[in-house]
Amino acid sequence: MSSLRLWLTDPNPTSRRQARLGQLWLAWLRIRRNSLAMAGLVIVALLVLVAVFAPLLAPHDPLVQDLGRRLLPPGTPGNLLGTDDFGRDILSRIIYGSRITLYIIGLVAVTAPVLGLLIGTVAGYFGGWVDAVLMRLTDIFLAFPRLILALALVAVLGPGIENAVLAIALTAWPPYARIARAETLTVRNSDYIAAVRLQGAGAVRIIAGHIVPMCLSSVIIRVTLDMAGVILIAAGLGFLGLGVQPPMPEWGLMISSGRKFLFEQWWVATMPGLAIFIVSLGFNLLGDGLRDVLDPRSSQSGSAPK
Amino acid sequence: MSLIEIDNLSVTFRAKGREVQAVQGVSLTVGEKESFGLVGESGSGKSTILRAICGLAPVSGGTIRIGGKVIPSPRGRDFSRRVQMVFQDPYASLHPRHTIDRTLSEPLAIHGIGNSDARVMQVLEDVGLPTSFRFRYPHQLSGGQRQRVAIARALMLNPQILLLDEPTSALDASVQAEVLNLLNRLRAEHGLTFLMVSHDLAVIDHMCDRVLVMQHGRAVEELSREALAAAQMKTAYARSLFDASADRLLGPTPEPVK
Repeated sequence: MSSLRLWLTDPNPTSRRQARLGQLWLAWLRIRRNSLAMAGLVIVALLVLVAVFAPLLAPHDPLVQDLGRRLLPPGTPGNLLGTDDFGRDILSRIIYGSRITLYIIGLVAVTAPVLGLLIGTVAGYFGGWVDAVLMRLTDIFLAFPRLILALALVAVLGPGIENAVLAIALTAWPPYARIARAETLTVRNSDYIAAVRLQGAGAVRIIAGHIVPMCLSSVIIRVTLDMAGVILIAAGLGFLGLGVQPPMPEWGLMISSGRKFLFEQWWVATMPGLAIFIVSLGFNLLGDGLRDVLDPRSSQSGSAPK
Repeated sequence: MSLIEIDNLSVTFRAKGREVQAVQGVSLTVGEKESFGLVGESGSGKSTILRAICGLAPVSGGTIRIGGKVIPSPRGRDFSRRVQMVFQDPYASLHPRHTIDRTLSEPLAIHGIGNSDARVMQVLEDVGLPTSFRFRYPHQLSGGQRQRVAIARALMLNPQILLLDEPTSALDASVQAEVLNLLNRLRAEHGLTFLMVSHDLAVIDHMCDRVLVMQHGRAVEELSREALAAAQMKTAYARSLFDASADRLLGPTPEPVK
């Protein structure tokens, strides 16, 4: 273990792989020093674990109804968090619901930021009419409130989990494009871009290899901070009946069905609400921590091995 | 035959409806393996000439020929393999998120040249950097070390011509001398042709065979090294530049009496 650590922290690595792993190790050390970010990371890691091992963790089948045991309060033996109006175990439904939440987050996280980065860097790098067209398009998307636009898209495409993801992704990219464009404008005229252009690099190589790395840290931070919003919009779409369809155990949908009993059987809506709250908080904390880790200024002062 | 021939070059920048003529009708020729200097005060258009050669500044008139052929626009890969540039500020000319290794192997990747491991090690040794620096980031190096990396990057494609844009003005005096000596050694070893910009006649005198004095975007006077050393200037402007740096040009002078 200690020889591995020495190998990772070697200030003079001998191969490209060692240098890259050493950098990752340093980033890990920086994030570990930040206790709030670690709390966020633990919550997100737990979400992933729960989603992966849902069949092992859930005490009941999330879809099996038992009308004899409907609306039992939390703490009932066999139903730790109580049951809903069809007698389904709420804990099991929350555990299985984490899969849907993670699926939505994952799909949005690989589509919206990539699209935003692409549009923003291309607009910023080429400038002129390319910039004008792409940025006016971004303005149009930004002008609508996100949930309303997502609602309109789902209404056109039809309800369902994939369409909900598509609607969220299509409404989430403009801020990333704006961030990426602003960063691109600050670096496009710098000497190191001029140097690589002088070496004969094409636009694709310059954007992908030299400009995107400069935009990446702010976009990653924005992604983790947005994840809470994505969860809430997905829950909102589920709540309105336009996202995931019953009987799937989606958290927003569960809140929506618990609304009818909010005063007498409060736990039906509260428990999935708590799950959304905790996961959103986890992503927000992680995003805040990543800001500290990825910010070039803080990494410059903190990490230089001497 | 001259390697670089610049004939009646003009560069005009347009910004917000205003036109700025940075270079007006400058002609110069640089022979093979020659070291040619451009000197002048700030804003005299000397750096703009280098940028115009690289295609980084808008040429509004005149021609630039390299090896007898007018250089194509956009410059293209053949041009990259022939002409490389070292920028003024080593703090701004290296990508802050790329390791030295990545910066140096990038030109090889662009031109599809293999064996990058060995070439990177070789060029690091060439410019006098320890090979253990290979995976460092620019912010972990000093200004002089960074400028060595920038020079190494310019050498990766084995160019014939090196354009030097005040390569030492951002460095302090002792490091300046080291870098200039390094450049002189590399020129001898690789048979390079230099086109060097400086505002410091002492640096030009140390490096260049011939020098062109510029002012307000126009060529004022061309001098050989001998004429420079003998202080044989014809124009008043060149003489005033010479007087400003004469004490360093003629070697160390005795301390002024107080």
